[in-house]
Amino acid sequence: MPEEAITKESYRGLSAAEFFYRNREIAGFSNPSRALYQTVRELVENALDATELHGILPDLKVFIELDERPERVKVRVEDNGIGIPYDEIPSVFGRVFYGSKYIIRQSRGIFGLGIKMAVLYAQITTGNPIYVMSSTPDSPLIAEYRIMIDISKNKPIILDEKLTKKRRRWHVTVVELVIEGNWSQAKKRIEEYIKRTAIITPYANIYFKGPDSELFFKRITKVIPPPPKEAKPHPYGVDVEMLKMLIRSSEKSLTLKEFISSTFEGVGEGIASNFIRWSKLNPQKKIAKLTLDEIVALAKMMKEYPYWRRPRPLSLSPIGENLLKKGIKEILKAEYVAAVTRKPSSYGGNPFVVEVAIAWGGNVPLSDKPILFRFANKIPLLYDEGADVSRKVVDEIDWNNYKVKFPAPLAVLVHVCSTKLPFKGVGKEAIADVPEIEKEISNAVKECGRRLRAHITMVEKIHEKARKRVHFSKYINEVARALSEITGLPSERFSRKLFEVLNEELGEGVKVREVRR
Amino acid sequence: MKYVDEAEVLRRLEELGSKIAKQVLKGEKPKLEIPLRTLSNTIWDEERGLLLLGPKKAVREFFDLKEAKKFMQTILMLSLLIRARREGDYPTIRDLYYTGKHTITYVDHLGRSMREETWDDQRESNSVLQDIEVMTGLLREHMGVMHDAKGKIVGNIIVRSKGYEIDCSRMGSGAYAIPPNPDRLEIVKVNAEYVLVVEKDAIFERLNEEEYWRRENCILITGKGQPDRSTRRMVRRLWEEYGLPVYILTDADSYGFYIYSVYKSGSIALSYESERLATPGARFIGVTVSDIEKYKIPKNYIIKATDMDIKRAKELMRYPWFKSKAWQKELKLFLDRGEKVEIEALSGHGFKFLSHTYLPEKIKKGLWIE
Repeated sequence: MPEEAITKESYRGLSAAEFFYRNREIAGFSNPSRALYQTVRELVENALDATELHGILPDLKVFIELDERPERVKVRVEDNGIGIPYDEIPSVFGRVFYGSKYIIRQSRGIFGLGIKMAVLYAQITTGNPIYVMSSTPDSPLIAEYRIMIDISKNKPIILDEKLTKKRRRWHVTVVELVIEGNWSQAKKRIEEYIKRTAIITPYANIYFKGPDSELFFKRITKVIPPPPKEAKPHPYGVDVEMLKMLIRSSEKSLTLKEFISSTFEGVGEGIASNFIRWSKLNPQKKIAKLTLDEIVALAKMMKEYPYWRRPRPLSLSPIGENLLKKGIKEILKAEYVAAVTRKPSSYGGNPFVVEVAIAWGGNVPLSDKPILFRFANKIPLLYDEGADVSRKVVDEIDWNNYKVKFPAPLAVLVHVCSTKLPFKGVGKEAIADVPEIEKEISNAVKECGRRLRAHITMVEKIHEKARKRVHFSKYINEVARALSEITGLPSERFSRKLFEVLNEELGEGVKVREVRR
Repeated sequence: MKYVDEAEVLRRLEELGSKIAKQVLKGEKPKLEIPLRTLSNTIWDEERGLLLLGPKKAVREFFDLKEAKKFMQTILMLSLLIRARREGDYPTIRDLYYTGKHTITYVDHLGRSMREETWDDQRESNSVLQDIEVMTGLLREHMGVMHDAKGKIVGNIIVRSKGYEIDCSRMGSGAYAIPPNPDRLEIVKVNAEYVLVVEKDAIFERLNEEEYWRRENCILITGKGQPDRSTRRMVRRLWEEYGLPVYILTDADSYGFYIYSVYKSGSIALSYESERLATPGARFIGVTVSDIEKYKIPKNYIIKATDMDIKRAKELMRYPWFKSKAWQKELKLFLDRGEKVEIEALSGHGFKFLSHTYLPEKIKKGLWIE
């Protein structure tokens, strides 16, 4: 969802809730099947953000139940995250944009936009409120709420509120929604989504129970990648709307120079002075006095100034090669996996990191081209694969270079993390072909490819040895029998000697692991 | 090549076998050294007019992926030959093929059950037999291996076989079939001026029917196309032991010319036997390409040469044993005209023209080429 558009609309006085309500297709609630998928996604992603970003090993439970009328679907997600303070709960679930702060860090979503969409969707399709139960680690209370949204006023309507005393220290959030959905159509995607989420979060326990299916992915590691740090925006990534917002949230008394040296990533007094000298702006100008034209000019010059420091990737949290390998190996039951986490890079002021893993053989099914698993900020992307930059990169690679002949049991996982992902279109399901990202993905896939080739070569050598052994062995008895006839000596004497030489030649008893084809 | 007795044959075969057996028992990688039977290892001995086997040898190692099967086949063939000699059997090359052929069953590296024949066709067993011939310096005839002999002989010659005397001038309309090993024939008496070797069986039959050999006092032989070893050996013996001139009559085409050269100089495939089989003094009596003009062969007997004929003729021109002036002229003429004729074309002047005019005249006037 383009932030600028939202901000503009809100200026015209349209309630944000109303705006979302009118544009629900954009947020992925276009039909009952997609809406069910989207609701599960929003709840699962919030649950993961509430745990791993705070260093908690996630325990997730996802339930989908059908009503007597099967088009009414209950979705319930439980997590062991940090919880929500009880007095914040109504606003968090009942007011669009509440708490949305300009934090620049990688997370699955800016908390709340999507969930509120789901609440609205439930409201208009089944008329049911959202049920929330939550408790923070420090709180002695457990809070339970039933909430709806007052669409025109963008305010929560509290239908039910209950506080009970906690008996032991624990923390939890349970969220439950009843929406109009189509389980039979969404089933495959939702299961795939859960499976892929498990691949990218190998440190999570994820239990899923649907009306006719059950999945459990047990955590295979207790290592959580370090949570991303909050970062200031980088000057390259700034646009007019963002600048306006940053000015609005800053002290009115700040001068331009003070504002620049305190607000942006990698910018201190020295760099701020250099920039102001270069831009010929008045460093003493109070930011509250800047006109719209001046703000537009400032944004333009910030984009053009060539001497900013490169953005730092502190705000990013890639999974890391080890976890990536563990996840994909365990869930795809692959024979061989390789993973590469690239060094951070940036496009247009936004830092990003590309991670790629390759899974080969084992239970990876044969396919005419590589099976692709796409992730953006740890979110599995299931739709619009054909439009994604990863598909393009993977298809353009000449896999013959890596000894891969299709059909082959090959899966490629691509994870792009960034503070701002360049999605194609509004569906947020495909990453655009930004040259910097494309190059990083390509390099990472090729690096994995080289490792895969080394592995395939090794397996081939083992096979080659076994093949040679068979080739000679099958003739040894023939030769021994003939020599026995010629010399009158027992043929075992000859065959034993010949096998001894064979073993010297090839090394004894090479066992070949069977490769399923 | 001197006569080799049976005991010596067996001794040489067993010697080769025990050499391999010793290598194996010592834990060495067994290998065979085999003189190469290729054009590159064929030497033209100009002085003697023979194609001989050169000095190049190939090493056939058992522990060599490409050679393992051939090695096995060679040892298998060796054991069959030794068994035959020990038991006094005279198998044909086809017998050897069937006796040695059986199925090897094994499990491959992917765990699949597989089957393989020791050899797939007779070419494979023949090939290793030839390898054993060149390795031991023994010919298959020495080793008691028979082949399907197809040569025929008729004329003023008496031979003795297994104690029976055979007078080849008393065969009626038939002829004596040259046995697989002519060295076992004793030539009792020869009363002939020359030997005429005819490429084609039909022409041989016609000349025999006319009793050409009686009138001309000669010996008539045919190898029915490409001659087998026994036919060549028979011709060689008559030339070598009785000093008879040998004339070769073939079609005037590349195939006929090559047949002449096989009688005369040996073949590339069997160059190791040339010393025993070739007849360096053999003369080409016809039909030559220049005969087409000289004998005014009617147009309807002239056939257009095929691409294959042209290709073969160009190859023949390059062989050292076709480098004589007369042959270069004939082959050039063949290429220029692009035409060929069969022996039968001479019948354009009547059926008796070949036997009464063409052959006697050419032989009398010495109109052969070499």
